[in-house]
Amino acid sequence: MDNLALYIVTSLIFMPVVGAIVLLFLPAENKSLLRWFTLAITLLVLLPLLGIAMPGADWLSFQVGDGGVQHVVQLSWIPSFDIQFFLGIDGISFPLLMLTAVISLLAMGASWTIDQYVKSYCVLYLLLLAGMIGVFLSLDFFLFYVFWEVMLLPMYFLIGVWGGPRRQYAAIKFFLYTLVGSVLMLIALLMLYFNSDLRKLSPQQLTASYVAAWDNGGNLLSAEKYKQQLEVSEHAVHTFNILALQQLGQNSDAFDQRLLYGKSVQWWAFVLLFVGFAIKVPSVPLHTWLPDAHVEAPTPISMILAGLLLKMGGYGIIRICYPICPDAGYDLAWLVCSIGVISMVYGALAALAQSDFKRMVAYSSVSHMGYVVLGLGVWSATAGNLFDPTAWNMGVKGALFQMIGHGISSAGMFFMVGVVYDRVHHRDLNQFGGLYGKMPVYTAMAMLLFFAGLGLPGLCGFIGEVFVVLSAWNFSPTLAAIAAAVVILTAGYILWAIQRVYLGPQYHGPHEEALTEINRREMAVAIPLCVLAIVLGVFPAIVFRYMDKTVDRQVTDLTRWTEEVKLPRLRAAEAEADQEVAANEP
Amino acid sequence: MQTLLPYLPSLLAIAVLLPLGSFCAILLGAQWLGAKGKFAGTLATTAVLASTVLSFFSAGIWFTAHPAGAVDHAAHEVPPVITGHGYTLATLAGTNVGINYYIDALTIVMFCLVTFIATCIHFYSTSYMHDELDDVVDQEALLEDGESLHRPGRYARFFQSLSLFCFSMLGLVLSGNYLMTFVFWELVGLCSWFLIGFYVERTTASTAANKAFIVNRIGDFGMLVGMMALWGSLGTLNFGDIDQQQGIFSQVRGEENHYALKVPDGMVRLAAGRQIEALALHATEPLTTEQLAAKVNAEMPVWREANLGYGLLIIAGLGIFCGCVGKSAQFPLHVWLPDAMEGPTPVSALVHSATMVAAGVFLVARSYPIFLPEVLLVVACAGCITLLIGASIALVATDIKRVLAYSTISQLGYMMLALGCGGWAAGVMHLVTHACFKSLLFLGSGSVIHAVQTNEMPQMGGLWRKMPWTAGTMLVGCLAIAGIGIPSVFGLPIGLAGYYSKDLILEQVYAFRSENPLWGSFFFAAAAGGACLTAFYMFRMWFLTFWGEPRAAKRFDRAHESPRVMVVPLVLLAILAVCVAWPAFSWFGLPTLSRSIEQARPAGIWADMHGALWHITLPEESKGHTAAVTSPVGLIELGAALAGIALAALFYAWKVLDPEDVSRSFHPLYHTLYRKWYFDEIYQAVFVRGTMALAHCASLLDRLLIDRLVDGLARLGVGLARLSDLWLDRQGIDGLVNWFAEQTYRLGSALRTLQTGSLRQYVMLIVASTVAMFLLISFWTLALTG
Repeated sequence: MDNLALYIVTSLIFMPVVGAIVLLFLPAENKSLLRWFTLAITLLVLLPLLGIAMPGADWLSFQVGDGGVQHVVQLSWIPSFDIQFFLGIDGISFPLLMLTAVISLLAMGASWTIDQYVKSYCVLYLLLLAGMIGVFLSLDFFLFYVFWEVMLLPMYFLIGVWGGPRRQYAAIKFFLYTLVGSVLMLIALLMLYFNSDLRKLSPQQLTASYVAAWDNGGNLLSAEKYKQQLEVSEHAVHTFNILALQQLGQNSDAFDQRLLYGKSVQWWAFVLLFVGFAIKVPSVPLHTWLPDAHVEAPTPISMILAGLLLKMGGYGIIRICYPICPDAGYDLAWLVCSIGVISMVYGALAALAQSDFKRMVAYSSVSHMGYVVLGLGVWSATAGNLFDPTAWNMGVKGALFQMIGHGISSAGMFFMVGVVYDRVHHRDLNQFGGLYGKMPVYTAMAMLLFFAGLGLPGLCGFIGEVFVVLSAWNFSPTLAAIAAAVVILTAGYILWAIQRVYLGPQYHGPHEEALTEINRREMAVAIPLCVLAIVLGVFPAIVFRYMDKTVDRQVTDLTRWTEEVKLPRLRAAEAEADQEVAANEP
Repeated sequence: MQTLLPYLPSLLAIAVLLPLGSFCAILLGAQWLGAKGKFAGTLATTAVLASTVLSFFSAGIWFTAHPAGAVDHAAHEVPPVITGHGYTLATLAGTNVGINYYIDALTIVMFCLVTFIATCIHFYSTSYMHDELDDVVDQEALLEDGESLHRPGRYARFFQSLSLFCFSMLGLVLSGNYLMTFVFWELVGLCSWFLIGFYVERTTASTAANKAFIVNRIGDFGMLVGMMALWGSLGTLNFGDIDQQQGIFSQVRGEENHYALKVPDGMVRLAAGRQIEALALHATEPLTTEQLAAKVNAEMPVWREANLGYGLLIIAGLGIFCGCVGKSAQFPLHVWLPDAMEGPTPVSALVHSATMVAAGVFLVARSYPIFLPEVLLVVACAGCITLLIGASIALVATDIKRVLAYSTISQLGYMMLALGCGGWAAGVMHLVTHACFKSLLFLGSGSVIHAVQTNEMPQMGGLWRKMPWTAGTMLVGCLAIAGIGIPSVFGLPIGLAGYYSKDLILEQVYAFRSENPLWGSFFFAAAAGGACLTAFYMFRMWFLTFWGEPRAAKRFDRAHESPRVMVVPLVLLAILAVCVAWPAFSWFGLPTLSRSIEQARPAGIWADMHGALWHITLPEESKGHTAAVTSPVGLIELGAALAGIALAALFYAWKVLDPEDVSRSFHPLYHTLYRKWYFDEIYQAVFVRGTMALAHCASLLDRLLIDRLVDGLARLGVGLARLSDLWLDRQGIDGLVNWFAEQTYRLGSALRTLQTGSLRQYVMLIVASTVAMFLLISFWTLALTG
């Protein structure tokens, strides 16, 4: 049965790939067959994940009491560099996997409006899905990188072929931005790889991080045996294993050599990785690909882009930046938080100024993802706070919840914009009005999703926002107060948009006759989003129950690290500075 | 009854959830609720009626278990409180954030008040909103071609929002921590948005709704900051203690400190973060966390002495108060409330006068234990300014609902002033009495508007002949708000509801004045002058509406008394407005209002408070009840009210004075008041325009700077590629290759000339090259061996 669970986990990635291959042999004329088939494949990705989410089946269920990785799949892939096919699920990745599956399914439902080159669309769509699932599942840094790149290409074509009038520009901009991020990540990846050394880990740490080695017969070695092998090795044994890199970053000096300008390897790796992920998040000032990509992308791709792709940036920061490079993370926490707050304010202000409906929603994403960056960065478990992890714990959980909540609300908002765009073929906020009277059911649902974006209590946007903002005070009251002020701007742009689009005496734009009530297929997409928005807002515990243990563990580990490793370093630096002062005194 | 006490939280929870059920039912099933959703009104009314019954039943249980007046604050007894845990939202490294409840006499009183008024207004609305059952022609929403808008009625939607509002408001009252308060706080704001913007087609309505929401959000921003300060330092947002976990109140006013206000350790620690870090870094030996904590505890008295953490408690208090400023329409965030009158009148009565706007006052009262004297002084100042601004604008307003709206602002200012001067019970009492007579006045105005189809008082007049019930009940309301009463009959003062509460407020301000002459004199003058203004503008309104000759004959002819279902709530509320505060109920063993409120007085609010940073002393409340205070204050109050009424009568009933004359002679002042002190214009110019300018800057920055930079970089890349193509490839590498080919070719052609076909020449060349090679090789070997 255990093996079955592992096959199921692996199938999450390969199901869409197999689906894409099968699609190639289906007739291109039969569009509805192609669509239904793709929808079925996305459903086949969702169902196993639902099985994992449900308690009850011990062999398959996600064990909420376990803070480590579960359902580990490990195979050797490129042995000469010790690159492995290494997958696993934990409390950080699992909610995001669920979100990926749900949003992919719904976005496929929204893809019925795609009428050109349906076959290629579906193939690319499934490849994109495989890439996204792969990113969240992989625990080998190289594999992570491969999936990261796999995701990029289908996205480029999906925007560039099925997009709006300026699709070429948007697609190439998206591609180049993301590529720069990938290159930076690649450099950091190699830096970490060549500085890693498995010999510095104890057998317990090797076991904890699932470092695997196989003997000549293909049997897995035990940690002790492998440790013995490592002991005799003359050269450093490098690894791509993310968990092992985390152990090395927190428990050894592997990444502490000076590299450039007096900064250590991990400092540079952190900066490179953070910039790479910040492009994806996107954080100001690396965000300008997002509005263009969103405006030009077709509705379902906008949903994926806002709902899922942006989350990879946040995921990378929490999974890779902080645990692997804690020392740099501690020193640069102010930078990360400031960027988060700047994004929040800047995104909200820019959203206020837009007259394109989709562009406004796109900028709201920049603003909302700023909360994620802020929440992940509020490293307040310092000596001055007596190493109290509560606030940071709240920040990280809030940020992760914000990713889920924003996944629902932004996908919903983009879908709602898409619904009305499909009818009247324009998005000028000043040329709407009166939709309340013409499409009441649609308006009700759209308002609900926009209010979720506004962070109204009882809906999914609230918990993340308020947790992040509350947690920020212990890190920096000033940043926290600025972050709190964003709630005013958010209310401003969302309410103003609602007023201009849905309220008012009449519609004043082209194609008034096309404004018909939301149809059944659109309802089938919108209702799950609305229901999720309410359920997550009222019972956030259904998400927190999965992430609690893992986040607690990671925050506890890093707090312990601050106490045991960082504090002595700070003391040493302080003592040095004191001596210098004493020496300079006459 | 006492045995039912453990079920009290469940009873109240059901009372909260019933309107939510009604909301959901109407939201999802409106089309099955009879023709045009007619049944929705019945459903919502039934739900809120059931909540009322449950609330009063709970009150019965509560006051049987804890008789009002039994708690003796003179002996410093702690008020009875029930706290408990609903469910958990999240667990954060050992602390919980969740839904809790906090029940004391204040909760019970608020429950009864909110549900009773809500029920009256639901009944009233079933008739008032009758037009919405059919298609509506909205005269105020014009289409582009100038036609009035036709739309289907939204009867069900109205009751849907009203139900959601009742749920949110009751949830707010029941809530046991600041997060939950914030949740319901926002939800009542949302309901207010829905209800103000009920006529979605009118641009004025949706703008007013947005204005209300956004201005409230400014207050909420402050509230968030206050919550952050509390959460960051105390690690909890609970009001009371739950399961041995200390709540905020007991951390600030601990039993060991005799409930006197003390900056909690957590706040001192957070404020001393830098000092603690220095301790950890400069210690001679590395410290474990436990050792560090011990050292910190040792240092604590020193830091406390240096007032560390005091500022944090001020921020927390001011932050929470900021939220209340938004919700209770206090200066400087009062601008949304008059515009909120765009909503249907029952909404104005329920949401924007009686309950929601009083929520700010309620929260100040609830958070009273954590407010420092410095914060309370700010509260008093805000209240005082608001009271004057509201009253002054109400003097000149001509829209009947706006008069009432500004009067609401002014009365809310009274409440804040009372709370800020240390009059906890006075403020809460005025909250309750005001809710009764203000909802009555609004419903009365709604009845008038319903009859004459206009809000403008200049087009009314003489209506008492057509609508005696409305006129009578509104007169009662006006007398109540003016605070008419006789200071002493049979040893007990007797008067209308407003008399008791206003009297308490003035007494407290008077007592405050004796401790702080400077502030106090100003406050007392404002309060007494405000009482006169209140009486004036209320009777101005009453005379203009009901007295004299009709000024618009057509409207007068159409006017009629409202149907019984609207009049009965008016009468009920009028009865309340007369006798809700009577102390005589205690003769029958019933809990009186003042004693019920007194029972809820938070622990510790029974002693004078002194500010540490500013010299300010808040007298405890019983100091206002001494004979030396009550007799002059009672006379001043009655005099002010009578003077106001007399002045109004001089202007509008007996026409001895001409208001036109007066407004002309004080033209600049009149104009300033008429334009509402220019707040809207100033805010529009400074904040709205300023924010929009910033927004456009951000947007332009994106397009003109960042995008150009990115595009420029891309173009640079393309340019470089072209350049390398041109120079390196074509001229460099290609050139080299071509040059090489050319040279080879040239060499070949040059060599071709050697091919002459002459044998002698060939032999000659062979010999020469052999010799040359021989020489070369021999030199080479020589060089190697040598």
